[in-house]
Amino acid sequence: MTAAAVLDQRPARRSWPRILLPVVPAVLLVLTAVLGPALAARPVDKPVTAPYAEAGADAVLGGDQLGRDVLSRLLNGGSALIGSALIVSLAVTALATLLGCYAVLSPRLGRLVERTADTAILLPPVLGIMLLALAWPGGGRPAITLAAIVLGTPYALRIVAGAAAPLATAGFIEAAVASGEGTTHLALREILPNLRAVVLAVFGLRFVDAVYVISMAGFLQLGPQPPEADWALMIRENGPGILLNPWAVVAPGLAIGLLAISVNLAANALAPATARRSALR
Amino acid sequence: MTGTTAPPAESATRPVAASAAHRAGALALRIASALGKRLAMLLVLLAVVFAAIELLPGDAASATSERGEGAAGIAARRHLLGLDRPVWERFWDWITALPTGDLGTSARGQQVTDLLAAPLPNTILLGTTAFVLTVIAALALGIWSAARPRGIVDRVVDLTSTAAFALPEFVVSIGLLLVLSLWTGWLPAATVTGGDGAPASWTMLVMPVLALTVPQTGWNTRIVRAALADQAATPHVEAAHLDGLPRRRVLLRHALPGAWPAIATGIATSTGMLLGGTVVVETLFNYPGIGTVLAGAVADRDTPVIAAVVACAAALITVVLLLADLVRARTLGARS
Repeated sequence: MTAAAVLDQRPARRSWPRILLPVVPAVLLVLTAVLGPALAARPVDKPVTAPYAEAGADAVLGGDQLGRDVLSRLLNGGSALIGSALIVSLAVTALATLLGCYAVLSPRLGRLVERTADTAILLPPVLGIMLLALAWPGGGRPAITLAAIVLGTPYALRIVAGAAAPLATAGFIEAAVASGEGTTHLALREILPNLRAVVLAVFGLRFVDAVYVISMAGFLQLGPQPPEADWALMIRENGPGILLNPWAVVAPGLAIGLLAISVNLAANALAPATARRSALR
Repeated sequence: MTGTTAPPAESATRPVAASAAHRAGALALRIASALGKRLAMLLVLLAVVFAAIELLPGDAASATSERGEGAAGIAARRHLLGLDRPVWERFWDWITALPTGDLGTSARGQQVTDLLAAPLPNTILLGTTAFVLTVIAALALGIWSAARPRGIVDRVVDLTSTAAFALPEFVVSIGLLLVLSLWTGWLPAATVTGGDGAPASWTMLVMPVLALTVPQTGWNTRIVRAALADQAATPHVEAAHLDGLPRRRVLLRHALPGAWPAIATGIATSTGMLLGGTVVVETLFNYPGIGTVLAGAVADRDTPVIAAVVACAAALITVVLLLADLVRARTLGARS
């Protein structure tokens, strides 16, 4: 570990511009998506032009399959996706961190965490979401959010538990045990404060994953239902007209792609290299 | 995969003949225990999936009910589909039938095995091609960037692989469609099937395969790169480096063998992502595979079909994870 750190370490102190630069696009994009509904000039549910109309003066990005304004729908379609991804990543990170801090204090719990994660790997997220969306008819966005939390927690838990395991045998924990501290004190006051970097890395990875899973569900028409404006749903709905008005498909595709990439790069820049590495496993 | 290049650090110094049988026994034991563990986990997952379907509202009989059909009609079909029997009995029947190739009956009364038989080869073709390409590309990029840590190649590969693994497959697909089909007209935008139900031409495979490969290559390149960095810090690799051996030789002969377990686990993990991505990509390109059947089953709320596909996917991932276990057992077996 020490040798690894020496050989492959980034400069210990990175300058502010180098940290901020990758974060700015993500923040700008999220802000645009959240403020989008206020910026949209046209209604999202009324036709304003011909179906699949080409981009022109009356609709900057053209019309969608019903002739609704693509730009207005684009501005409205991101906040819900970002909101649910945020809920999922916050919930998963909180659950995994809390459980992970307790799990490392008991070998049996630790083994259970390993087994659960190994079992969860057997169910691809997309199939898991399909199952839940089917078994819970009309669940819509809440069902997808819940499924993403349930499916994501085992992975995050394993990462947190893996990072916390060396701490459980560290001197300061043994000292706390010897002085008679209870499990809750050990987990929350001794172990948790030392996991900040890993928690940050896990949060970043989980947000990226949540965007992936939720937009995938939207594309498969499992979550948000028409006529809601949603980037993933727009791609699916306007797919047949890609030859007539490519923007109706390309614009939401670009939006999801830019969101995923910029958030991932931001998380990469914020989390320390070592924590990021342990989160990759 | 590991075979020929055992780490040279512990070449001799061991009574070879006596320990060979012992080591073979230990290896067999390790493989048997891994097999038992993986099979137990597969069983647990199938039980959880079955229970989840049971506990949540709505079943196949009510899902396929026609408008205006009375409660009596639904009850009759529930009886026809055997849904009125106890849960444990149905789980036992389902789980014991799976290994024989009987995947159950769909909500519309067809055999699921028959439903999946025709599209399966197409999905296997698509998935395997993408898998092989992913492994080759990830290994090549990971090794190339590890050759000069923090060099220009390392930085570019790091940035692009980080960007690539965040992208959902359907977003990659749209980019490919735009460039390769709409702008240049090189490739057909949708899949056209021939008389045998297979894609009419290999060019129709290019975009679906690339859409699956790009995100997974991003993920696995990072794994390969990280595993090689970890190995670069081990004493025997450092020693080889200090002995003045060529960089390439140190990387391929000394660092790579020890990195196999981490790489194998990473690749095994992305099998599941690849399978999930297949569903989306097939839907987008209208490719005649399991994903298209699944999308139809979702629209029909045909739970047995989805449960069957989940069972097959879980079994396939179990096999790949077992292969990864095997790689780890071989590498660690050579060490201990």
